[in-house]
Amino acid sequence: MTVNDTGTYLYAVSHDTGSPCPEDLTGVAGTNVRTVAYAGLVAYVSTVPLERFGAEPLRQSMEDLDWLGETARAHHHVVEEVAASRPTAPVRLVTVYRGDDQIRDLLSQRHDDFTEALARVTGRQEWGVKAYVDLTTATPADQEVAGTGGPGAAYLRRRQMSLRGREEAWRQAAAQAEEIHDALSSVACASRRHRAQDPELSGRKELMILNGAYLVERDRREEFAHMVDKLRGRGVDVELTGPWAPYSFTELADGQAEIHDDG
Amino acid sequence: MTERPARTSRLRIETDAEAMERDLSRLVLTLIELVRQLVERQCVRRMEQGDLSDEQIEVLGLTLMRLEDAMAEVCDRFGLSPADLNLDLGPLGTLLPQD
Repeated sequence: MTVNDTGTYLYAVSHDTGSPCPEDLTGVAGTNVRTVAYAGLVAYVSTVPLERFGAEPLRQSMEDLDWLGETARAHHHVVEEVAASRPTAPVRLVTVYRGDDQIRDLLSQRHDDFTEALARVTGRQEWGVKAYVDLTTATPADQEVAGTGGPGAAYLRRRQMSLRGREEAWRQAAAQAEEIHDALSSVACASRRHRAQDPELSGRKELMILNGAYLVERDRREEFAHMVDKLRGRGVDVELTGPWAPYSFTELADGQAEIHDDG
Repeated sequence: MTERPARTSRLRIETDAEAMERDLSRLVLTLIELVRQLVERQCVRRMEQGDLSDEQIEVLGLTLMRLEDAMAEVCDRFGLSPADLNLDLGPLGTLLPQD
């Protein structure tokens, strides 16, 4: 296999403390994880075959949910292992560079951004909070509406009630999401709202009204969990997941693609 | 926490004749249902604005009600549920409101 047949898959970046890479750490597609250190930073990488991880094969692989799931788990596993012992900036799933030289370029060109991101997450953890409401119970769909006229008019009034009920329920749900997000943000150092997932993805039939990520100081985690408990009820279910590696808070300002594509 | 763009039930038109017929019926019914719901909303809006007479409201209501029944019947015959008519438009959400 020549050099051109492989790429360097990047998992995460951390400070170079001189400590060795965790042994026997396996990354995507069963590859060994190693480190590339440069300019006080260290990148966790593995060598991957481009026949699977090149731009074109990846486009096809991304449609293969089994492959994607497996790769995501392997990626996540490496990030978790690294993040367990040091401040870590995880990198997005399937970020592949041409070789170690490009990784060193990245570490030197984006040095300040990485340092800033690492400072931001030091001593902090990411928690995920999803809030759901069951809109079906809030819609008074079949209730009889008093009024004059025959069955046709009654039908239209029923539709009117149901449409209005739904709009009202949506408005309430949006307001509740806002409230929950504000309350949680007051305990967190930083917060981000991701797009709410649809039921097919979340696996729940209720409407997801909030899909938030919160960066919380380690010693305020109980306070945060307590806040989540307090926000449950009133027809809202709040789901707490984590702690996660700080995926939502370490993205570099303008993405990492530019190095990826040149030279 | 990796987001997976997992969508499993995309509407795909396959090439064998039977599947083609089923998918085409589904597509046609979807469009009819979309138009029916739009007309229904328009009627409700005009009723709220007061520019329909009682008689007009009654006729429109009856028509829409029968259309709904007819849709249910046709869907039933093709073995489709209301959710099957709701095209997934990806980032735009679904074509019809979900309830």
